[in-house]
Amino acid sequence: MPNQPEAKNWPRWFDPRSRSLGTFGFILNRITALALTLYLILHLIALGQLAQGPAAYDGFIALVKNPLFKLGELLVIAAGVIHGLNGIRIALNSFGIGVRRQRSMFVILMALAVLCIAFFGWKMFMEG
Amino acid sequence: MEGSLTPKRLEGSGRWLIKIIAGLFIVVFLGIHFVVNHLVAPGGLLTYADVVAYYQNPVIVVMEVAFLVVVITHAFLGVRSILLDLNPTAWVLRAANVLLVIVGAAAVIYGAWLALTIANVKI
Amino acid sequence: MTGSTWQVTFKVYRQRTGEKPSHQSYSLDVDPDEYILDAVERIWAFHDRTLTYRHACHHSTCGACGMRVNGREKLTCITTIRSVTRNGGTVRIDPLRNFPVISDLVVDMGNFFLRMEKSGFDSVVPLDKANLPYESTITRVSEHKHEAERLADCIECGLCISACPAANTDHEYIGPAVLASIHLMYTQSPSQALIDQADHHTGLWRCHSAYECTQVCPSGVDPAWRIMDMRKKIIGNRIKSIFTRPNEDKKNA
Repeated sequence: MPNQPEAKNWPRWFDPRSRSLGTFGFILNRITALALTLYLILHLIALGQLAQGPAAYDGFIALVKNPLFKLGELLVIAAGVIHGLNGIRIALNSFGIGVRRQRSMFVILMALAVLCIAFFGWKMFMEG
Repeated sequence: MEGSLTPKRLEGSGRWLIKIIAGLFIVVFLGIHFVVNHLVAPGGLLTYADVVAYYQNPVIVVMEVAFLVVVITHAFLGVRSILLDLNPTAWVLRAANVLLVIVGAAAVIYGAWLALTIANVKI
Repeated sequence: MTGSTWQVTFKVYRQRTGEKPSHQSYSLDVDPDEYILDAVERIWAFHDRTLTYRHACHHSTCGACGMRVNGREKLTCITTIRSVTRNGGTVRIDPLRNFPVISDLVVDMGNFFLRMEKSGFDSVVPLDKANLPYESTITRVSEHKHEAERLADCIECGLCISACPAANTDHEYIGPAVLASIHLMYTQSPSQALIDQADHHTGLWRCHSAYECTQVCPSGVDPAWRIMDMRKKIIGNRIKSIFTRPNEDKKNA
């Protein structure tokens, strides 16, 4: 029957139409969670280069100085900062703290996230 | 409760608490990891020699391995929670549990081995 | 009634058993201060007698007329046409999400009502328990509040379940209304049975803090607050149980 809860409805998790700010928080948290898990696995594999000795690791670092890689790294930092700050909000709410102010908490924390991302972006791209 | 055969609890306050506490540890460790890697170490840990020097300190080795443990715990409990949102069948969940435990344990063992290998490199 | 007239097109979800769902358009002259439910009724009365929909009290106490208006969950008897469109505009009307559609705008709420019953939901509650701690009690009955009762806020309309992302993919998730009911009953009479229902993968832990339930609730239940408060109680109990000896547990049970 249509309209029923089913696993195949999962794309609708990411549809913000007709939804409120809290859903944006949910969507951001879910996307950053999956992205960071993927990054974690890639990061661990890449660090295996360390075990191959100086030539392998330094060669790998030369590769990631490429601006495209740097942009990817900035996205990872963005995901980490957003997920972390949102997670702190959710943890506090689950202990009964700030539930009625969850919207303003979300706005303030995401503004802080934007500042952090801008700071790291500047450091990475301007200072090399 | 009459007539209620409550199905086995696949996720409860215990596992959720572990996920949240791991998350809070991540915030702390990641802060340290970030500050050292990108702000304290001159030029960041971007040469082999710098990484080896960093890992000579046993506190760092312990911290980085602890960091890996809490990250894997948080990430994999989170992924499992997302899977539970899809109401998987019992065998899919069982397979996922096994996969997550094996991959998680392998990642921790691999990471610890890597950290110790680097720590034991003769400068 | 303001006396002004708007021309509004209503795109209404139509669904018959075995047929593909579709939207049918009806163009109506309406008073913008009338309600969406009035428009649906007029469509049925004067345009299409095959349209099925649910309604009863027309004053937000029965919870029967919940629908999605332009994608957003609303109690249509208290949603003015003016609040969702403009003159010459279009209003899309769909049934609540996450409930099986029986026909057109009518959904099967049976499972939901059974779950509310299982949570022990009693719609008559003591006044001092009916309000949330952050709501002030009516002062003129405050000296009698231990005797006074009122109807609970929840009218079992199901809007919260329609708006919840977790309820979109998991039919076993009991949902915000049921969790709110568990919280309400727990504040009156704490029991392990209620904790067992809440502290479960089909209960509190499917909530991922989207807070849509509180956003769409037409009745001030604040299910999200109740869910978080229930989490706080359960986590508190769990942490306490680490430091409490088993004998003391049995003594206190």
